[in-house]
Amino acid sequence: MRRVAVIGVGVTKFGLHDRTSAELFADAAGDALTDAGIAASAVQALYYGNVVGGETEHQLHTGPQAASVLGIPSVPTTRFETACASSHAAFRHAVMEIAAGVSDVILVGGAERVLNVSTAESTEYFAYASDAVWEQPLGLTFPGVFALIARAHMEKYGTTEAQMAAVAVKNHRHGALNPKAQFQKQITIDQVLRSAYVADPLKLLDCCPFSDGGAAVVLASEEVARRHRKPVWVLASAAASDWMLLGDKRDLARVPATERAAAAAYRQAGLGPTDVDVVELHDCFTIAEIVATEGLGLFEPGAGGVAAENGWTSLGGKVPVNPSGGLKAKGHPIGATGAAQVAEIVTQLRGEAERRQVDGAKVGLAHTLGGNTATVLVSLFGRD
Amino acid sequence: MTETAVTLSQFFAGAREGRLTGVRCAGCGALAIPPKEFCPACGRRGWEVVTLSGEGTIASFTVIRVPPRAFAGEAPYAIAAVTLREGVSILGRVVDIPLDALVVGLPVRFRPLASKDQTSLGFGPA
Repeated sequence: MRRVAVIGVGVTKFGLHDRTSAELFADAAGDALTDAGIAASAVQALYYGNVVGGETEHQLHTGPQAASVLGIPSVPTTRFETACASSHAAFRHAVMEIAAGVSDVILVGGAERVLNVSTAESTEYFAYASDAVWEQPLGLTFPGVFALIARAHMEKYGTTEAQMAAVAVKNHRHGALNPKAQFQKQITIDQVLRSAYVADPLKLLDCCPFSDGGAAVVLASEEVARRHRKPVWVLASAAASDWMLLGDKRDLARVPATERAAAAAYRQAGLGPTDVDVVELHDCFTIAEIVATEGLGLFEPGAGGVAAENGWTSLGGKVPVNPSGGLKAKGHPIGATGAAQVAEIVTQLRGEAERRQVDGAKVGLAHTLGGNTATVLVSLFGRD
Repeated sequence: MTETAVTLSQFFAGAREGRLTGVRCAGCGALAIPPKEFCPACGRRGWEVVTLSGEGTIASFTVIRVPPRAFAGEAPYAIAAVTLREGVSILGRVVDIPLDALVVGLPVRFRPLASKDQTSLGFGPA
């Protein structure tokens, strides 16, 4: 298999935009291609993530639409949909296509637009990523899914609402250092604890926001990458799935798909959790960050809450998690999130993350979770 | 036996009458609810239909306060993951239990939630 590198990244600001998702993607992709110093005409395929385009924009077939708006209509284009992990799934397949020698340059990314509809509508559309026969009819929401996980984690390990709040406070502190973040404002533990319950025990400030935004990365074979500035190498890219129904999961306090994807990624790269210098992981809710740090092996099962509370995951801590601000503060345009996490890790490994830079970061990890924990992607990155 | 042991419409017709239907693997005896085509434990494609007790305990729960559009008039309402006496678990809507009385470990019993065109799973006091 050939080595694969990321040679360009581009991310729009996340938040409210008066632009279609295709426009947002094209903006990010243009920046990624400029960053790579490569012409749009060099792109041999587009792998694209978009989730609720059919609902919020009345748009299916979003892959070729995005390619057309970008101005590269003739490249083979595929849309990936694995809920919130869509563009990370797209990324993994692009890595495999280049590694296999089929293509040399692939554009990967995603975009989402949801702030053009009401919160009640987007809450409904996001719930479509839960089972329509067994769980949607109960009125289950995404905060509800993670609330069930949070309650199980609290019961099993003694995790507290204050420990979950510490994740939100930390990610807002990081987000305040990121000019692309939706929220660039610090918050306090007290503000999180006093915010209104959305799905007990999760409160408003435990939840990431609804966001519009786009993200893109340019992947290249080693031969092409050597001609470009600062290639960041893809050391591993792994996926795992799990039962669609929460009821089929034997232990709601753990996320087996994260554990399996991480094990596969570490094995591919010949690395372990202690080798990782910087992590971007899927903190759609504060409890999601806690269980992800455990599933990735950064901390023992049950120790994620303590780690957050002790500042071990802060910039300057043992293993900085979500220096970008994470989904919580940077924002979560679901189709774009995976590519945006990869873009942040690449920026960190290049040493170009400015005020949120993790000093001397050599190995980075991106973790993206789809929906009800039924999909997880984990990729590892390194620099020369 | 290769045909599907219980279809979704059969399951929900039973549920509407208060019966919670599971399937037991004819090969290894593993129990599943809802039914699956292949046994996740041994891979065999052959099931026997069994009626479950409907008795269980709450493994986790949440109170939904910001509902999807279709449930706007119902919030706040609780959803629980229930571990059935037989060892399998499933999600259901909590009915007839005060929200502030919910705790992990609380005994509950299956209750069908039937509306005009749909039946879903509920759990009420044991």
